[in-house]
Amino acid sequence: MPLRIPLKPALPLWPLLPGLVFPALLVVLAQDLHGGGLNLLGRFALAAVHPSLDPPVVASLLKGLQVTLITALLAWGLSCLVGCVLGLISSRHVWLLVNGTTTGAVLVRRLLAPIRSLHELIWGLLLLQMFGLNGWVAVLAIALPYAALLARVVSDQIDSRNPPAALALQRGGAGPGAAFVTAVLPSVGPTLISHMAQRLDCALRSAVLLGVFGLGGLGTDLVLSLQSLQFREIWSGLWILALAMASLEVLLSRFPTAMILLLLSAALPAGLLWGSTLELDLTPPQLADLSVFRVLDGAVLMEALTTTAWPALILSTLTLTLLASAVAISGPLLGLILVPGRASAHLQRWGWGLLRLFPPPLTALLLLLMLKPSLWLAGLALGLHHLGVMGRILVEELDRNDPRLSQALRCMGAGRRQTWLMGELAPCSRSYLMYAASRCDVILRDTAVVGLVGGAGLGWQLIEALSSFHWAQVFWLVLAYAGLTSLGELLIDRLQRHWACQADSL
Amino acid sequence: MHQVGVQGRLEPLDLRITAGERVALLGASGAGKTTLLNLANGSLKPDQGRVQWRGQPIRTLPRRRRMEIGTLWQDLRLIEELTVSRNVNAGALGRHSLFWALRNLLQPLERRDCLDAVTRAGLEPALMDTAVSRLSGGQRQRVALARLLRQQPLLVLADEPLSALDPVLAETVLNGLLNQAGCLVSLHRPDLVHRFERVLGLRQGRLVLDASTGDITSDAIACLYESL
Repeated sequence: MPLRIPLKPALPLWPLLPGLVFPALLVVLAQDLHGGGLNLLGRFALAAVHPSLDPPVVASLLKGLQVTLITALLAWGLSCLVGCVLGLISSRHVWLLVNGTTTGAVLVRRLLAPIRSLHELIWGLLLLQMFGLNGWVAVLAIALPYAALLARVVSDQIDSRNPPAALALQRGGAGPGAAFVTAVLPSVGPTLISHMAQRLDCALRSAVLLGVFGLGGLGTDLVLSLQSLQFREIWSGLWILALAMASLEVLLSRFPTAMILLLLSAALPAGLLWGSTLELDLTPPQLADLSVFRVLDGAVLMEALTTTAWPALILSTLTLTLLASAVAISGPLLGLILVPGRASAHLQRWGWGLLRLFPPPLTALLLLLMLKPSLWLAGLALGLHHLGVMGRILVEELDRNDPRLSQALRCMGAGRRQTWLMGELAPCSRSYLMYAASRCDVILRDTAVVGLVGGAGLGWQLIEALSSFHWAQVFWLVLAYAGLTSLGELLIDRLQRHWACQADSL
Repeated sequence: MHQVGVQGRLEPLDLRITAGERVALLGASGAGKTTLLNLANGSLKPDQGRVQWRGQPIRTLPRRRRMEIGTLWQDLRLIEELTVSRNVNAGALGRHSLFWALRNLLQPLERRDCLDAVTRAGLEPALMDTAVSRLSGGQRQRVALARLLRQQPLLVLADEPLSALDPVLAETVLNGLLNQAGCLVSLHRPDLVHRFERVLGLRQGRLVLDASTGDITSDAIACLYESL
């Protein structure tokens, strides 16, 4: 038995390791610090407890919230409907039941990959060019990637279940539909409905984000208030949004499955009806003049390909992703390990809630009040938003822990921080890591929304190209973005499979 | 006094265990053995009265004193995500800082001490770097014992440590416990009481037997398991 063994980090250490980025982040940001906006930041913080209650402001914000809610509701209903259908036809088990091969499933999966690889903002900007300003643009921008993502979840869930049960029923004379409904649906149904319920919350955030980029709703109100430094109005909007999100969370967590299904089936008609009362333009979108695309001949495309600085763009996108992921993944863990205790945990939960509330571009704009624009700042802004999300995931994981392990460690003489590390983090480290990996995937897509701050990344370049109608560059950038996110998805899939079967260390 | 299971409560009792004493705790299921052990290690708070360790209230002990009492839990309470050596090293957390715990996650530390504990617990050294989730029930029991040995407590509290073990393994575990400075071991095996110096008997939450092993009669033991 060798007494010296090579370095072999245990699973609970992996989500903590990205925290090594924090000292570097502090050093770099300290150099970028400027005092110009500290006074404004102070005013912003004070406005949190003194939001504007002017009736015209509140009325405008409430109308904006309704537009955002309608967009989210329609996008959610549409994406769930389409996602379930696409999920069924991209499931290997369904294809096995229907015609005995899985080729069709593989093909559909590959076709869906580029759709979900583009961020809803990029879809929004592309659709805006194609259809002009219409209520459906924001809805479709969210629904397209969400449906492709849900399709993957649905097919993964079905394919992870035991196929022989359904096949045995089929061999016993049952039709494919009956075999599926009897052997597969009861086991995947509750998981999928719970996942779909969570997507409504995500759709609401996406609708706010699209608003920040001018597609209407509460997001637009928030960014306009920030640009005119009306901090009290911003906080009125943020508190209204917080209230809406909290109510939604409570409702969805208490709703029985049947109620969620009812809400899902009523989402589209309810959204349309609600939209008509607000005079929201939800008429079928008409294709705009697409003659601009005719200039896309081979020479133009080749020129765009060769004149774009691909290595720098890809490198900055990856750097931004890594920075933001490091902040998001290790932030909540470091917070709880360095400042343990019940009161601190409650305070941190509140902080994570606030971070989730702020769309990343808004966080970036606020940080710009005291820091110079840079890639690091963009990474921090994106990372802070996702830190809020990861914090929530962590809390859910911790709540599932068996308290007896921590009790045993305390009895052995372990300190509070040691107990947290070994008794709380260790048991949930595998599931936290798995979730963190898929969060990196989301962060890679989200680089598009904060790249503007650092003037870096494929997403930022794409927005620039769209704004300057440089269609040839848009074409290549969309391809590059889709390629990069698909690669990331592949890599993360492998990592997750590796962690799922690895018992202790990597 | 404390609630015992769903059946009743642990009645007031005055109990003192002296240094180096080896005590067996007998009683039918639900008699209050686990509750008594949990009160003794400070994981339960008594509704009334005091539990002290060397003159100091058990629940306010600083952590370096807390590690003087070791517990072998009935449900073992191992860290499933970690290897045997890292689980065994968890027994030494009371002597070290958070930084040590982090380094141990990076690379198992103090391998020699760890190996010593593993060997004394009767576990194959080749399993040191195996995840505990991959071990059999008997192996897991020995990992828990090795963790206890690594802790080096002055008093061991063991909650039915021999249940579900084969005779050979039960002997290994019992020897491991009896080689400690002092122990209070809850058992369902009256045939083993001669290995201890003192026997305690609980019946429906009440301490009905407290005698040295030489004074124990088979009737006294049988009385503990009689139904009402």
